[in-house]
Amino acid sequence: MKTTAVSSAAISNAMRYSQSRMQVDLVKAQKEMDTGRVADVGLALGSRTTQSITFARDLDRLNGIVDSNALVTSRLSSTQDALGQLTDAAQALLGAMATASSGDMTDAVARDSGKAALQSLTAILNTSVNGEYLFAGTNTDVKPINDFTAAGSPAKAALDAAFLARFGFTQTDPAAANVTAADMDNFITNDVMPQFFGSGWQANWSNATGQQIVSRIALNETTETSITANNDGVKKLAMAAAMVNDFFSSSTLSSEAKRTAASRALSLAGEAVSDLGQTQSQAGLIQKRVSDATDRMNTQVDLFKKHILDIEGVDPYEAANRVNDLMSHIQTSFALTARIQQLSLLNFLT
Amino acid sequence: MSLSSALSIAQSSLQTTSRQTAVVSRNVADASNPDYARRIVHVVSTDPGARAAQIQRATNDQLFRQNLGALSAWAGQSALYDGLDQLDLAVNGVDNASSASAAIGDLQQALQLYATSPSNQNLGTAVIDAARQVVRSLNDGTDAIQKFRTDTDGQIATAVGELNGLLAQFKDANTAVVSGSRSGTDVSDALDQRDALLKKIAEYVPVSTVTRADNDMVITTADGTTLFETIPRSVSFQPQAGYTAGVQGNAVYIDNVPLAAGTGGNTDAGGKLAGLVQLRDGVTGTMQAQLDEIARGLITAFAETAPAQPNAAGLFTWSGAPAIPAAGTLVNGLAGQIRINSAMDPSAGGDVTLLRDGGANGAAYMANTTGGASYADLLIAYGNKLNEPMAFSPAAGINASVSVSAYSASAIGWFEGVRKQASTAADAKEALSTRTAEALSNKTGVNVDTELSLLLDLEHTYQASARILTSVNQMLDSLMEAVR
Repeated sequence: MKTTAVSSAAISNAMRYSQSRMQVDLVKAQKEMDTGRVADVGLALGSRTTQSITFARDLDRLNGIVDSNALVTSRLSSTQDALGQLTDAAQALLGAMATASSGDMTDAVARDSGKAALQSLTAILNTSVNGEYLFAGTNTDVKPINDFTAAGSPAKAALDAAFLARFGFTQTDPAAANVTAADMDNFITNDVMPQFFGSGWQANWSNATGQQIVSRIALNETTETSITANNDGVKKLAMAAAMVNDFFSSSTLSSEAKRTAASRALSLAGEAVSDLGQTQSQAGLIQKRVSDATDRMNTQVDLFKKHILDIEGVDPYEAANRVNDLMSHIQTSFALTARIQQLSLLNFLT
Repeated sequence: MSLSSALSIAQSSLQTTSRQTAVVSRNVADASNPDYARRIVHVVSTDPGARAAQIQRATNDQLFRQNLGALSAWAGQSALYDGLDQLDLAVNGVDNASSASAAIGDLQQALQLYATSPSNQNLGTAVIDAARQVVRSLNDGTDAIQKFRTDTDGQIATAVGELNGLLAQFKDANTAVVSGSRSGTDVSDALDQRDALLKKIAEYVPVSTVTRADNDMVITTADGTTLFETIPRSVSFQPQAGYTAGVQGNAVYIDNVPLAAGTGGNTDAGGKLAGLVQLRDGVTGTMQAQLDEIARGLITAFAETAPAQPNAAGLFTWSGAPAIPAAGTLVNGLAGQIRINSAMDPSAGGDVTLLRDGGANGAAYMANTTGGASYADLLIAYGNKLNEPMAFSPAAGINASVSVSAYSASAIGWFEGVRKQASTAADAKEALSTRTAEALSNKTGVNVDTELSLLLDLEHTYQASARILTSVNQMLDSLMEAVR
C-alpha cells in the first residue's frame, strides 16, 4: 500500500469548512428574511451602492420638500383668505361711496365707513401666520402697514401738510368752505396720488418690501410664494379710505369738494376690487403650482421607494426557502459527520 | 538451509514487523497533525531473510508548492478584506449612517426647511447643527483613517518581527535537515518541522524554494529577493509613531529590497505584509483624498461671493480662510481641518442670520441688502450649489465633474466596489487554499483506516513468525530428545 486516496484529517477538515460556510450563509439569509433587504448592501451592490444611497437621500429630500410645501400652502391659503376679506372691505366702501358721491349720506356715516375700511385694511394686512407677517414681502418681522387712524400717524400728517401747502389753510379752517370741486380734483390728482403711488407710500404707509419670499417647491423649482402689501389694489383701497376718512371728518370743507372726493374714492374702490381680484388669482396660481409640485413629488417618492426596493430588496419567500435549505443541509451534514465518525475500522477490530 | 536459518529468518521478520508497527503507531498518533507527512517503511528482502531497509516520508512537491502559493494569496487578501471591513465601520458606520453622504443629505433638508421659513432662527440653528454633523463626520472619518493607518503600521512591525523569528527557526530546522542528511540518519521529523515553518512564512510573504545538495533549502520571495540562504536575510521595517493625511509610510525591506504593495480590490498582494502595506498607503490614502475633496467641495459650495470681491469661506471654513481652496486641486488633510464658521455658529457666539443674509466676511458680502427677515434667495442658492457639478481632483480616484453631494455618494460606491471585490476574492482564495491543503493532505496525510488494516497484516505476520519460532523450537526439542 503506497497511496491513500483520502486522509483522515482531510475528511474532518472538509466537513468543518463546509459547515462553517453554511453557517455564515445561514446568518445572512436569516437577516435578509427578517429585514427584506440584502444583509450587507455594500457587499451585495459593490459600486452600485452609490445608486442606492443617492435614491435614499433624494427620497428624504423629496419628503422634506413635501413637508415644507405644506408650510408654503398654509401661508398661501391664509393670504388667499386675507385677500378675500380685503375685497369685502373694498366692496363695503364702494357701496358707501356710491351713496356719498350723490350727497345722500351724512358726513359722519361717510367718515365712519372710510375709517372702517382703513381699520380693516390695517388689521388684515398686518395678519401674521407662524410669526411671519403675511404681506410684508421678505421683511416679515415688521408690521407691513402703519395705522392711518393712530395718533401721530405720519401718513395723516403728510396728507394734512399737502392740503396746507396747496390751499394755504387746513381742511378744518373756515376758508375750506371755498374749495371748489375742480380745486379738490386737482389736489387729489397732483398731491394725494403721489403719496400712495409715489415715494410717499414706502415712506409713510408701508414697511413691506417689494421683494417677495422665494421658496423651493420642488427639487429644481423655486417660485415667489407671498403677496406683498405694496400692490396697486391695496394702495387704491388705502387712498380711497384715507381720503374719505380725512375729508369727511372736516365740518368746514365745502360739500362739493367732499362729493368730488367721494366720487374719486368710488372709482378707486372699484379699481381696488378688480386689482385685488387679480392678486387673488395670482395667489391661486401659485397655490396650484405648489400643490402640483407636491403631487409630482409624491409620485416621485413612490417611484424612488420602488427603485430602492428593486436595488436592495430581497424576495422574502426566496430568503425563507434559502434558510430552510441551509438548515436541512446543515442537519444532513451533522448526521453524516456522526455516521462517518462511526465508520471506523476500529469498531470492527476486537 | 537449516533449522537455525529458519529461526533467524523468523527472528528478522519479528524485528521488521515491530519496526513497521512502530511506524504505523507513529502515523496513527499524528493522523490529525496537518504538518505531518505519512511515513512508509520499505521492506527489502535480503539473502538470509527480510529486513526493513528504510523509512520514507510521503511528499508531493507540486501540491506543496501550490498550497504555499494559495496560502500567500489568501493571507494577503484576507488582511485586505478584514481591514476594509474595519474601515467601513469606522468611517461610514453601520449602513453608512455616519458617512459624510448621509450628513450632507441631512444638511440639505435642514437648509430646505430654513429656506422655507428664513425668519425662524431655530431652523437656522438646525442648519448649523446639521453642518456640525457634516464637519464631525469628516473630522472623525479623517481621525479614524489615520488611526487605522497607525494601527496597520504597528501590525506590519509585529508581522516583520514574527517573520524574522520564523526565519531564525527555519535556520535551525534547515541545519538539522542538512546535518541529518549528511550523516544518513532519518530526517523526517526535521523535514516536517521545516515544511510547517515554510507554510507559516508563506503567510507573510510569497515564497519559492530551491533545494540544493544535502536537502539544503534556499527561500526567495516570489519576485526573487533572497529570504534565506544558509542564514536568514534580515527583514527590516521602521514604524511611524503617527500618521497624517498625504504622508506615505515606510517600506518593508527584505534583504534591503523594498517589498511591493498589493494593488486592486482582488489584490495581487501575496502574503500578509503586502496586503497590510496596501491597506496603509493605498486604500486609506484614496479614501482620505476623497474625504478631503468632499470637504473642499463643501467649503466651495458655501463660499460667500460678491461682485469685485474674491470668494471667501462661508458656513464651512478651514485653516487657510478666508480664502477658499484652489478649484480642482486636492488639499491633503482638509477633511481634518474643516470647521463651522464661528461667525455663524450661535454656540460660539456667532449670528446664524449671517448664513441667510451673507456678510460673514464683512459688509461687502451682504446679499440681503433690504434686510428682510424672510430673505431666502441665498439659502436656496446654497442648496442649489450642493447639487451643481464642480471639478474634483482626479487624484482621488472618482469621476472628476459631479456635484459635491453626488461625489460623497460616489465615494461610498467606490469603497464598496473595492470591498465587494475583496470579499469575493477572499472567498475564492480561501476556498483555493482549503482545497490545496486538502489535496496535499490526501497525498501526504494519514488515513487511520489504512494504517489499521496494515496493522492487521502486521499482526498476522507477527503471529505467523512467532508460530514458526515455536514450531522450530519443538522440532529442535524433538531432535534433542532423539539424541538423548
